[in-house]
Amino acid sequence: MSRANGFEPKILAYVCNWCTYLGADLAGTARLEYPPNVRILRLPCTGRIDANLVVKAFEMGADAVLVSGCHPGDCHYTAGNYHARRRWMFFRALLETIGFDPRRLHFTWISAAEGKKFQQVITEITEQARALGPYRPYEAKPCVERPRPLATPPPAEDFAAAGQELRQTAARLLNEGTVKVVIGHGERGPVFVTRAEDAGNLVWNANCLSNLAVYLKRKEVRELGTPAVVVKGCDERALLMLEKESQLEREGVHVIGMACGGMGRAKCAACDTPRPRFADETIGGERAPRDGDRYAALEPILAMSAEERLSYWTAQFDRCVKCYACRQACPMCYCERCLADKNRPQAIATSAHRMGNFAWHISRAMHLAGRCVGCDECARACPAGIDLRLLNLAVARVAEREFGYRAGMDRDAEPPVGAFAAADKEDFIG
Amino acid sequence: MSAALSQEALRALADGWIKSGRKVIGPVEAQPGRIVFKPLGSGAALYLGAWAPTVNSIKEAVLPRHEKLYSYRIHKDGIQLMDEPEAAGETIVIAAHPCQAAALPVLDKVFNWDLADEFYNRRRAALSVVTLACSSYDDHCFCTSVGLGPASEKGSDAMLYETGGEFVARTFTAKGRALFGDAAEEAPPQHDGPPVRFRAARAREFARKEFDSPFWREHSLACLGCGVCAYVCPACHCFDIVDERRGDEGFRARNWDACQFPMFTLHASGHNPRQRQGDRQRQRIYHKFGVYPEKFGEILCTGCGACARNCPAGLGVLPMVTEIPDAEPLQA
Repeated sequence: MSRANGFEPKILAYVCNWCTYLGADLAGTARLEYPPNVRILRLPCTGRIDANLVVKAFEMGADAVLVSGCHPGDCHYTAGNYHARRRWMFFRALLETIGFDPRRLHFTWISAAEGKKFQQVITEITEQARALGPYRPYEAKPCVERPRPLATPPPAEDFAAAGQELRQTAARLLNEGTVKVVIGHGERGPVFVTRAEDAGNLVWNANCLSNLAVYLKRKEVRELGTPAVVVKGCDERALLMLEKESQLEREGVHVIGMACGGMGRAKCAACDTPRPRFADETIGGERAPRDGDRYAALEPILAMSAEERLSYWTAQFDRCVKCYACRQACPMCYCERCLADKNRPQAIATSAHRMGNFAWHISRAMHLAGRCVGCDECARACPAGIDLRLLNLAVARVAEREFGYRAGMDRDAEPPVGAFAAADKEDFIG
Repeated sequence: MSAALSQEALRALADGWIKSGRKVIGPVEAQPGRIVFKPLGSGAALYLGAWAPTVNSIKEAVLPRHEKLYSYRIHKDGIQLMDEPEAAGETIVIAAHPCQAAALPVLDKVFNWDLADEFYNRRRAALSVVTLACSSYDDHCFCTSVGLGPASEKGSDAMLYETGGEFVARTFTAKGRALFGDAAEEAPPQHDGPPVRFRAARAREFARKEFDSPFWREHSLACLGCGVCAYVCPACHCFDIVDERRGDEGFRARNWDACQFPMFTLHASGHNPRQRQGDRQRQRIYHKFGVYPEKFGEILCTGCGACARNCPAGLGVLPMVTEIPDAEPLQA
């Protein structure tokens, strides 16, 4: 019927140079017929396929996307396909959370000898895409937004005594010469105390939300000399990650931990690190960890249909003004030059239009896969009120459920992205 | 129409404008306590509750965050350029605070300085602004420090004044009269607005004379380098021109840009004349209080306080300027 309407799906196949491309070649030389709907893009290896390329394909009007490479054990580069498989787990979960149609995304292993399989896969994908009809994810109607409830107020906490101790600690560290600057919270926002007599500028109250770990990487701050940084249990996870990624010399930073009974943010309801674990000194006694469901916020989203999810995120992303506050407030976004700022080639449109905004938020969530420590600074910083933490949660949930990994919890645990296991799940691979 | 309007009457008026095909932009409570300017689907969505600042500004009505300028198609015989269809027709902003409207005459100058910006001018000509005089202020407001006030008429075509739950309208321009007819002559007594919090002349003098002062870097350490301040500001108007191309087709667009991004002044050579975040913060203050007034006779800031209210690191014009050591301190 679709054929009668003139609809011919466009399939974009990202294939590896060594296996699937040769498989396609074999299909050709063996005169095996397959639908001409597929456009083949050859890359050195599936390990090279960035999530952004798949997003790009949909931007350009693909109705389905195929990623195909060598069978496990056959990779020309030893392990590129394993890396691709691992990344795909995160990417699929992310795209599903956003509401992209998973039936449009295909992953297969096709070897150089499998011309027949190439023919079958392309035929099947084309038939399915034809049956599904044209794919227009960027034309979704934004949903009517319902006001979200405010975060719960923080529990009564004895901020005063801890604040006093914090100021004394800062003055002592500066007087002793242990550190040159104390990065802490002030009345209005982050403060950088360089003289003991200014330690009074430090405060400890329910507005101390910033994750100050973000400043440890800044050139201007580094120039001030050895820093002390004030962290809550959640902020400290970023320090662990920075250290793990060789961005921070732990010995070069004096960490002042603050026990925290919750700041009234959504993340606080499931906080199991109320007291920093690795600080050089910690102010405040034990606090009871909370055992809320860390991923509870995802439930209402995942309960929606894919169309509803897409419509929800369309409304969210349509508000994005590309101010990059999410990136700038993120302790894990430390690249000297962000992918979004590169223009040769322009990987992500700089325009704050719908496609540019989808591409940006998908890329950012993928770059934080297995790295996001859940401090929610991106969501707090966003002037458009986009609940960015949901994207990060969707990806973090894969890390925890599939690999038992939570970023910034265990200094020695192997990160789930950038690693692989031969036994990784591949129920999504054809 | 000299009688006071009830809330219902005002909403009905907005409904009438919407029904007549005009785009009506007004404050909406998007989330509890979070008021944003949005195109209204109906007058019912209009936020008319207690005084509250808005997150974003009305500048989007004249300078959208992303605006196509023209599109092109490459043929084998050459390049075909196509104008974008005319921008949205008549637009009415309703119930914006006066600090929002006051930015428009300021913007008019820069968009008609060496070149008349047809894209801006087209939207501006189609725009009517109905402000709502402020009945309160918060700690971030400082309109009185930049020569404005809670009922400044600058940039407004008409203004609503809330008295006892009803709204009295006054009109200042033909556009305003077209919306409200013969409105009230006299403004009801008004709120005094926030206290004067700094001297704008001092900010200008300091930025000019103390250009190389360590003050700027010391007070900018917390700056994250995002674009929130510029993007919520009703007066910030910097933009970037980009081309987006797909195959043989593409378009040229202008997108908002912000001086706090390191990329903003990065040269192709790799040199960056504003190396540090402090240099970029200085630029923001100096442009608003020094460069712009010298060139156009107007401060490029209306004291709305949106920058500081929305800054994730607690910076902004007021926090920065009030830190400037003042030769003559203000009386408390």
